Amino acid sequence: MLENQVIQSVGFRNIKEDGKVTGFQFRVRIPYYRGIFLCQLRPGSLFVDGKKFEKDQIIWNVNGKDHTAEEMVSDRETHWAVTEPAVIKVKLDGGLEQGFHDLKFGFCFTSSYMPPIMQENLDPDQDPPFIMPEFGHHIHTRRMLIV
Amino acid sequence: MYQYDKKGPKRGIALYSYSAEFGITKNLEDCFQDMYDMGAHGLEILANTHIENYPNPSEEWIAEWFRLLDKYEIIPVEYGNWIDSHMLGYRDLTTEESYELLARDIRLAHRLGFTVMRTKMPVISSALDPVENWREIIKMALPLAEECGIKMCPEIHAPTNLDSQMVRNFVEFIEETGTKNFGLNIDFGVFRNNFDNEPEHRNNFMGSKPEEIIPLLPYVYCCHAKFNHMSDDFEETTIPYKEVVDIMKEHNWDGYLLSEYEGWDKYDPGYEVGQTLRKHHIMLKRYLGD
Repeated sequence: MLENQVIQSVGFRNIKEDGKVTGFQFRVRIPYYRGIFLCQLRPGSLFVDGKKFEKDQIIWNVNGKDHTAEEMVSDRETHWAVTEPAVIKVKLDGGLEQGFHDLKFGFCFTSSYMPPIMQENLDPDQDPPFIMPEFGHHIHTRRMLIV
Repeated sequence: MYQYDKKGPKRGIALYSYSAEFGITKNLEDCFQDMYDMGAHGLEILANTHIENYPNPSEEWIAEWFRLLDKYEIIPVEYGNWIDSHMLGYRDLTTEESYELLARDIRLAHRLGFTVMRTKMPVISSALDPVENWREIIKMALPLAEECGIKMCPEIHAPTNLDSQMVRNFVEFIEETGTKNFGLNIDFGVFRNNFDNEPEHRNNFMGSKPEEIIPLLPYVYCCHAKFNHMSDDFEETTIPYKEVVDIMKEHNWDGYLLSEYEGWDKYDPGYEVGQTLRKHHIMLKRYLGD
């Protein structure tokens, strides 16, 4: 079972490769009532303690496989389920320092059955003017601890 | 497999209702247990939500699926799918590509024992008009649907009502092709005649009269029993349920009414949609029998 918040507290840690800390990762669930194919995803930016990471610096690991923002644009096969959080990975030499970090992360997704007027201006880095609970927010924040 | 032989309108649940709780406090079996408590035998799932590892579930998951259906006396009625032909954003899927999505769902629905699909069309306007090539996509899929015993049904949902060009177009298609594999899912929200609690949802919508469903009944293979507000004495206060259900009984309509709760309050912390569904099923049980 998942946490109700989109950014999950379980899964937030630094990434260690060959004994060296090379970045950090955390998990997000999709705040929608159905899963999506990755081409429906509109990935946005991440802010950690105010420092910005562009979508092209962020890897989305879905179903155990890494995907770049560019790869996801035309991916009609990989399905991100509501019950399987995506792992968000960011390269950062030395990772994040021990202690609290404020995360702010944006993403959204398209729906073919919604009126085009609501689909044309989707911005992952800005909340929509009108929040519908079953489509959720675009911007997600959470304060979490790195050990 | 469990059999349920009752004729006429029967009770069921659209698992969409659990959207705020699924994967967070409830899994598939929890939802099935809730249905069993209510004596609701008909099931609608959403393919992209409730099938583990969709669109490629494992053999183990499918075996477990049938075990759970049997255990909780559930009939797999309607498989909710989407023709997501705007999925890419930078171009629409071709008719052939859209058909491939649909064909994959028809095969999977059949494999899981379903007989009806709620086939959500991609739209091109605020009035929810379907894409211009919807006839071509559906025509291409008719032979496979026939082979698999599947009836594809777009959902007629407010702000569309029964007396609309969209419904006339669907009926014309059914009559021209003579197909038994394409029909309608009527969402009971089309009958809504009371907006006192949510005036903002009216938007000039004029609900259909219950009797307007009569000429459509031969093409209706499933209904979303949408409900908005249940009173403390278990009446739905926004939709003339008894009138609609009585008409369906009188005309010997045989199929499932799948309770669907869409109220946004279900996302409030601590909300239990199962309790809301139980209120609806007390009403339906009084109207329909067990």
